[in-house]
Amino acid sequence: MRRLGFYLGCAVLILWSLGPVYWSLVTSLTPPNALVSDQLHLWPQQITLEHYGKLFGATSTSQGNEVQSVWPQFSRALFNSVLTSLLATVVTVVIAAFGAWAFVRLRFPGRDTMFVLIVATLGVPAYTVMIPLYRIMIGAGLVDTYLGVTLIYVSAFLPLALWLMRSVYQAMPLSLEEAAWLDGASKLYTLVRIVLPLAGPGLMATAILTFLSAWGQFMVPLVFSPTLSTKPLTVLIPEFVTRNYVDYGLMNAAGIVAIVPPALLVLFLNRFLVQGLMAGASK
Amino acid sequence: MTSSFVSKRAFLGREARLGLWLSAPIILIMGGLVILPLIVTVVDSFFRVEPMKMGTPFVGLRNYIALMTDPNVLQSWTNTLVYVVISVTIETLGGLAAALLLNRSGSARRWLLAIVILPWCLPPVVNAIIWLWIYNPSYGLLNGLLQSVGLISENQVWFNDRFTGLVLVSVVHAWRMMPLTAIILLAALQSIPFTLYEAARLDGATPWRQFSLITLPLISSGLAIALSQSTVFAFNLFDEAWILNGSSMDTRSIMVQVYMMAFQNLKFSLGMALSILAMIASLAVSALYVLRVYKETRFD
Amino acid sequence: MKRRTLLSAALALGLTTAFTPIMAVAADALPVLLPPWVTLPKEMTDKYTAKTSGTLDIQTLGWDEIRTKIVTSMMASKAPASATEMDWSWVGQFGSAGWYDDLSGILTDEMKADLPTTSIFTFDGKLIGVPYNNDFRVMIYNKGHLAKAGIATAPTTPDELLAAAKAIKEKGVVEHPIGLPLSATEGSATAWYLLTKAFGGDLFDADLKPLFVDPESAGYKAMAFEVAALKDGLIDPAATSLKDVEIQELFKSGKITFDIAGWAGNLAVYTDASKSQVAEDAAAALVPNVNGKSRTIGLPGALGVPVSAGDKETAHAFINWMLDADTMIDNYTKLGNLPTRLSVLKQLNDEGKLKQGDVLIEQAGVVEPLFAGGTPGWYPEFSGAVATNLNAAAKGQISVDDAVKAIAAAAEEAQQ
Repeated sequence: MRRLGFYLGCAVLILWSLGPVYWSLVTSLTPPNALVSDQLHLWPQQITLEHYGKLFGATSTSQGNEVQSVWPQFSRALFNSVLTSLLATVVTVVIAAFGAWAFVRLRFPGRDTMFVLIVATLGVPAYTVMIPLYRIMIGAGLVDTYLGVTLIYVSAFLPLALWLMRSVYQAMPLSLEEAAWLDGASKLYTLVRIVLPLAGPGLMATAILTFLSAWGQFMVPLVFSPTLSTKPLTVLIPEFVTRNYVDYGLMNAAGIVAIVPPALLVLFLNRFLVQGLMAGASK
Repeated sequence: MTSSFVSKRAFLGREARLGLWLSAPIILIMGGLVILPLIVTVVDSFFRVEPMKMGTPFVGLRNYIALMTDPNVLQSWTNTLVYVVISVTIETLGGLAAALLLNRSGSARRWLLAIVILPWCLPPVVNAIIWLWIYNPSYGLLNGLLQSVGLISENQVWFNDRFTGLVLVSVVHAWRMMPLTAIILLAALQSIPFTLYEAARLDGATPWRQFSLITLPLISSGLAIALSQSTVFAFNLFDEAWILNGSSMDTRSIMVQVYMMAFQNLKFSLGMALSILAMIASLAVSALYVLRVYKETRFD
Repeated sequence: MKRRTLLSAALALGLTTAFTPIMAVAADALPVLLPPWVTLPKEMTDKYTAKTSGTLDIQTLGWDEIRTKIVTSMMASKAPASATEMDWSWVGQFGSAGWYDDLSGILTDEMKADLPTTSIFTFDGKLIGVPYNNDFRVMIYNKGHLAKAGIATAPTTPDELLAAAKAIKEKGVVEHPIGLPLSATEGSATAWYLLTKAFGGDLFDADLKPLFVDPESAGYKAMAFEVAALKDGLIDPAATSLKDVEIQELFKSGKITFDIAGWAGNLAVYTDASKSQVAEDAAAALVPNVNGKSRTIGLPGALGVPVSAGDKETAHAFINWMLDADTMIDNYTKLGNLPTRLSVLKQLNDEGKLKQGDVLIEQAGVVEPLFAGGTPGWYPEFSGAVATNLNAAAKGQISVDDAVKAIAAAAEEAQQ
């Protein structure tokens, strides 16, 4: 009975998550003039790879004309997306791992006020800070650089990462650290050698959250990454809407390709996320 | 054990200095890239900053007063509140269910987890376009499916009804954001010692009692984080409403209103004042449950 | 103004010292900001280099995004690029904000005469955009549907249009013959503007007072026509949530007979068999009019130079190159952007390169700007009100009378 409930729950979850993604896949495989049809087909009647061809091929046709393939742009944007998301993830996780521990275990002036203030910036809408931030970034010469975009991502995702890591450290028994301190280990050494390995699942969850949040960003790169030297996929894909023709097939094909890197990352990081903190300790 | 010399310097002692060192990058980044721009915008909201008009005179609270009486703004508030209630409910219940399933799924977890986060990997524009097709009145999946099960007899134009429109926009938002809640709660579930459940089982506690006595209290801080972030994101809902139903009053969210005021009508400071109000509202709502959670689950 | 510059200067200074700046690569390529449909292929940029011995740094952004980008940059007193896209609907705002240079000096008198749409981009006597990308509305119809319903010629008046649509519906050729977007989007608003012209009137008088509140006015009749056609099933009930591009999808699949507010440039797509299921049957006709003499609106795109742009002379040379007959022809044949110069349009038609060219040339001759004195700064606010109220009227939430009154009130408020 309980097993049945479990499988039923999994089935619903899979259907909910995959349904629309599947629909996107179907659209990406449907020829443009068959997109609008009276009959609802749950799988494509004819399969075409022309949209993927446009993404990966050397040349393609658009509005009846031979044009350059979008692959050079697409691959560049894919690279930019991966790079900026990875950079933002690494920086955020490192800062949050050390900072959150300081907020939990160390006493220093202004600690709690600072924490509340930083977490409160979670509520700041992108529009509210965009224009002053743009002035700052121009002044610093950081518009259209990887460093600039990375710093903005970090500032946007740090509050959540910090809060999450703080709750992870709070849930950890102080006794482990105290034992090490009594043995004469420094606080920083204890953090790196004893606390961080135990906080693995929390760190992985933070990394996944940060990576995926950065991956889906739109407003920030739109303003701060104007050219292909740093422009990510999220800004490139809407450009497949030409003025009198929405290339649904191409957009969905690009979306399906864009799913792959984060999905692979999660498959890989999951190995670390499974190692439950106390599951290891209780053995 | 401690000399008076050390205790006097405790304020700037090694511990405090290490703490300040470790939080310095946070202060620098958050201060420079969020707090400073925020202050500039707050100051601007007391001036009339409209590029189409000469000068930027000080207007005090006039921008805020104008927002109180604008019927479009008032309706956007109502819409946004509906979005918050529906999305946060779906995300929290669905996310909790997903996290519990994931926590239990053993060897299949890596695949299940990858599937659960897929909605979030999809670029937002592609996401909105897929749902636009699903909701399409003539060829959409939703009409097709409901008709084939016999729930409706003819195609529905979903966005003709205000409440249906609000629900549909919320569903798209919740679909994309639910993985976030699921991962936060999964991380919280991971930190519950397995031994607690074993002890409870020996005492003969039912699964429900185990859930309400062990699981829920122990993931409460994760729950507070998840609730706050989903509330904040729901207050900031923009893409879904804009792409699915344009500027229609029926589904216009606060952020769409901000966009239209600041970027479309170039009434810049008015839009910024509204965005600040939205920020305060989302923080106030989040604070409600954060404080509640921390008060109720304080157990040392 | 001083307060703001000081504050931002202080911020910038503080941060420059905080972060090591990475200077942008010093490039002498001219930065230009264009929409995706003007992504110039290498062949064209090579020609530019050959002619001016300069290179281009082309930044493309999606349509809604270009505007956001320009506004953000200009608010921060920094040019987004040396030359940018300038849409007809932005003219009033960007003109009164003083964000763009007067470009009338860079055009010869012959060129100005050859570019009838420059008046759309004139604000306060200044030409802040040079039109290079033409768009005007024609009626596109499916001649196969008309033939099946036994109609020989395309309708020339709204009444004939209505009669033809009814005949097509009764014969069962298609369920909903008329395609018009009625969602709360800009495309629905522009379709109403066009129909207002078709009913022989204008939106505003010379003093910009609304003319569409009176039930006898063209604007009122146009909206009533749309709502009635929807009620009678001549327009697909789904139109209340369809945008203009989705109406175009319907036409391509043969679901509708008339794309009344058709985009002239769209004929190339409609007649392309790989994109359209009605490639054989798509045809263009002049926009119907109650007086029998067709009128239409032009919604062209232009290029402008921000006041804070660097290297303005090169930007001017680029704009002039975009106006070359050769570039314009390439722009049409390679990218599908219709030329703005009448002489180039004629040349294309003579060479047989223009789909349905005779109709397009005739329609192009009667193109009017939506606002004779240039698009006013309050246009986006007005247009937003049109979209939402038209949508509400179509959904039956308010009457046509209430809708036009609400639009007029919004227009008067926005003008203050």
